[in-house]
Amino acid sequence: MSCAIWEERVALLAGGDLETGEAAGVERHLNQCAACTALAADLRRELDGLRQVHAEPLAAEHYAAVRGRVLAELAKPQRRRLVWPWAWAAALAIAAAVVLVVVMTKPNAPPAPDLPQLVAVAPTVQRSRDRQGAVISTHVRRRRVRAGAPSVKEQRRLEVAEVLPPPQPAPPAVEASPVRMVQLATDDPNVVIYWLFEEKGEER
Amino acid sequence: MKTLALAAAELGDEPEGRDATFEAARAGDRAAFDLLMRRHERLVLGTAYRLAGNLEDAQDASQEVFLRLYRNLAKLDAANLAAWLYRVTVNVCHDARRRRPSTVPVDDAPELTAAGDPQQSADQAEQRALLLRSLRMLSEKERAALVLRDLEGLSTAEVAGVLGSSMGTVRSQISKARLKMRDFVERYSRRRL
Repeated sequence: MSCAIWEERVALLAGGDLETGEAAGVERHLNQCAACTALAADLRRELDGLRQVHAEPLAAEHYAAVRGRVLAELAKPQRRRLVWPWAWAAALAIAAAVVLVVVMTKPNAPPAPDLPQLVAVAPTVQRSRDRQGAVISTHVRRRRVRAGAPSVKEQRRLEVAEVLPPPQPAPPAVEASPVRMVQLATDDPNVVIYWLFEEKGEER
Repeated sequence: MKTLALAAAELGDEPEGRDATFEAARAGDRAAFDLLMRRHERLVLGTAYRLAGNLEDAQDASQEVFLRLYRNLAKLDAANLAAWLYRVTVNVCHDARRRRPSTVPVDDAPELTAAGDPQQSADQAEQRALLLRSLRMLSEKERAALVLRDLEGLSTAEVAGVLGSSMGTVRSQISKARLKMRDFVERYSRRRL
């Protein structure tokens, strides 16, 4: 039979750490188990031996040595213990004063420079006519509506808007080369294709 | 069983905390503080000796404990002084051990058998040394619990208060410590045979 489950309780019993009811249960087990009885006897003997050793007083000079060292320590001038807190306090006060002086004497922030007024001129929207003569804006894409339900082919047909570039305030010296942009709208509203090409039809 | 209250009474601490010596020491009277140290030196040095395992470290720890006592006199209550001293002693010894681990490794224990013979094994001095060595085989917490409970005679509740643990934890530590101690002694005895 394994008595491992009893060992801790036997150890507590040996030191008198069990309540009366619990101790009685362990005592009943001890009456039936020689191994645990031997364990309890060993534990009691060792605890008694340890207590006897501990009860032996140390030599008086060991206590006196400690007292002497403590009193000598206390008799030392307390300069270090007193000076350092004052030093820290003084350093903090000086630092705080410096920060305060810097903040108080700091000139006001310079006024913001006068910035030239920039007037943005909205670009002129040029309009062009498609083959049917409908006006198509560069900003608003219109879908031509015909009478009757449009066919699938018609729905898939890309709507083309021809956009002319906005007039430049200062035309470049180089030869004008109008660039055309075609906005291709697909069935997917999230997909828009821009096609840039020069007048001669070369892609850029 | 000795309790902390009984220990305080033995040491001259009145439960009301109106200990004239304590009050005088608190007022800065060095002679009164010396008397206060004399009252508690066995508690402090004796406990530290069992926790540290050697006298030199125990004296260092005791010095630190009394210096802390002096610095904290204004905040302390004489009625709780014994518990405070136990707690600080345990903490100081624990800190010292962490800073400077024990120089005696666990494997040194069988060296006690070096010059012995079977008859000497019954020698009281050797048994005494063996028991003290077995204390060093314990973990910090187990040793503290066992020293306070079995050697200093505090109740389980008082040990729990000093160590800041629950009573269940202290009971577990005490029982494990006793079993480890017994195993160590038994192993040692087998090696001798």
